[in-house]
Amino acid sequence: MHGPSTHPWVEGETLGTHLEERGVDRREFLTFCGKMVAILGLANSALPRMAEALQSIKRPSVIWIQLQECTGCVESLLRSAEPTVGDLVLDVISLDYQHTLMAAAGSDLERALQSSMAENKGKYVLVVTGSIPTKENGIYCTIGGRPAQEILEEAAAGAAAILAVGACAYWGSVQAARPNPTGAVGVRDIIKNKPVLNIPGCPPIGDVITATIAHYLTFNRLPEADGEGRPLFAYGKRIHDQCTRRSHFDAGQFVEVFDDEAARKGWCLYHVGCKGPATFSPCPIFLWNTRTSWPIGAGHPCIGCTEPYFWDTMPPFYDRLPGVVGFGVERRADIIGATLAGAVTAGIALHATATGIYQLRHRRQAEAAEGAATAAAATKEDSSNG
Amino acid sequence: MTATPQPAHEPKKWRRPLGIQLRSQLSAPTGDYRWVYLWGWPLRVVHWASAAAIVVLVVTGLYIGRPYFIISGEASNHFVMGWMRFVHFVCAGVLVAAAILRFYWFLMGNRYERFGALFPVSRKRRYDLWRTLRAYALIRPDEAPKYLGHNPLQQVAVTGVYVALLVIICTGFAMYGQATPDGLIARAFAWVAPLLGGMQVVRFVHHVLTWCIIIFIPLHIYLAIRHELLDHGATVSSIISGGRFVSVREHFEDA
Repeated sequence: MHGPSTHPWVEGETLGTHLEERGVDRREFLTFCGKMVAILGLANSALPRMAEALQSIKRPSVIWIQLQECTGCVESLLRSAEPTVGDLVLDVISLDYQHTLMAAAGSDLERALQSSMAENKGKYVLVVTGSIPTKENGIYCTIGGRPAQEILEEAAAGAAAILAVGACAYWGSVQAARPNPTGAVGVRDIIKNKPVLNIPGCPPIGDVITATIAHYLTFNRLPEADGEGRPLFAYGKRIHDQCTRRSHFDAGQFVEVFDDEAARKGWCLYHVGCKGPATFSPCPIFLWNTRTSWPIGAGHPCIGCTEPYFWDTMPPFYDRLPGVVGFGVERRADIIGATLAGAVTAGIALHATATGIYQLRHRRQAEAAEGAATAAAATKEDSSNG
Repeated sequence: MTATPQPAHEPKKWRRPLGIQLRSQLSAPTGDYRWVYLWGWPLRVVHWASAAAIVVLVVTGLYIGRPYFIISGEASNHFVMGWMRFVHFVCAGVLVAAAILRFYWFLMGNRYERFGALFPVSRKRRYDLWRTLRAYALIRPDEAPKYLGHNPLQQVAVTGVYVALLVIICTGFAMYGQATPDGLIARAFAWVAPLLGGMQVVRFVHHVLTWCIIIFIPLHIYLAIRHELLDHGATVSSIISGGRFVSVREHFEDA
């Protein structure tokens, strides 16, 4: 749709002018604003306000720092088949510092970060991807020789708003999974004096990030969040309750193995370990990769990547419930439960039999004693008579 | 013809439910036996309502945990999981109502039903727990200490079931609340998942405790019938009628 830029952003240019330069017409721009309004769950009356706010912004300063991570979040945002208006907006506003995308390198790059933070102190939006290692004074992730925690604390001090994008920045993700060798934690564990908005997912959907930033630019505040600091417009509902396969769940139609007839028919993936019932994410509505598809739509169970600590709490990814570790062998809870129930029933049968034997013996003894007593009495009677 | 003198107006006898009337008729000692009233009607209602609810909850719950049959055809023609979940939630409501009544009766019931009857706390009771265990393990029923209400082993078992059901109820509500995350139930039980370490652990605990309850059912039925038949106790009949006959010569630890 829109190719690489031949019109770099120039000082003093508004976003509206810049988008026009890049071949985005008014209709496209309004369509984009309408989509953002819809994603955020705002009333239609917010559309003019958002369009006005977005087109008149003069390149807000966004500093995007990448710490201990795989760069997948950035890839997820940028590698869409056709760059959309949203991508361009993101492109424009994330220019100040983004070390994957910037042409500069080395100490020049770090100087750019320093000068940008100094110039826009208290005004810039800080986007963080990646976790912060805390063990051994944070030597597991350093940029320009400085540990991640120091970089984050310095950047957060002057930020107007902080977005923790991706599972790493939210709670640490895979590097924080047990046994967490580097002591990785999320942004909220380091920055306690400022609200942090978490946009979870491994990676998160690009639209959610764009919509959150559009919300901030329009209303000058971050969208409403839940107790975990996740924006409610996106993470307010379970995947299970919005799923396109939900009718098959309610009907009792389940995929049992990945190549069966049910899988071909697109039945519910509950049996093969779908974590949709425990996961809050807008995937079924917003979809992925320029709204092409999403994991469950493509026939793969949800692994619950928007939930905190999902690497430890959601496995096994292809089974409903966690396994039970014992005797070095992982067994399903059902097998153990059924075995125990069977053993208890067998034990009861055994106990009942033993009780029966006891009763029988007891009665025999009683009868024998009674017989002996009668005999003795009879003998006594006989002898007295005799 | 003179009118027969009318008997003084007697206050209308309050019609009491279930076995209470029977008890009042039989409480006078007849011969060598007397009638002892153990379980009030709220406790019996709690027992039978939760027994029925638990059976349905186990059957539907195991289906929800792992659907054991698959329906073919158009999804719009079927609602198997939907009905299973509906019945499960309704029976869960019955169980919760029974739990509330039971809690009330912890405070208002007689000494066999109160909080005090939940644990073998005294040294004597702990020793009796050991004696009961030994009597069961070595099949020596005549050596077991005799109790009118629950013996110490029963106290431990019943308290264990109460705890298990309480955890099952809390984990159940935590899962149920997720469908309406801003609802009252979700807010009231928001502490469960972080406490246990995530929603999947909540599921797992709910599931494992279900198996504990399943294991308890045959044990409970067996020991109750055994006690009824072998020790001439009245475990089965007293949970129906509310009381039992005891020989006046027999000694009970908790009489």
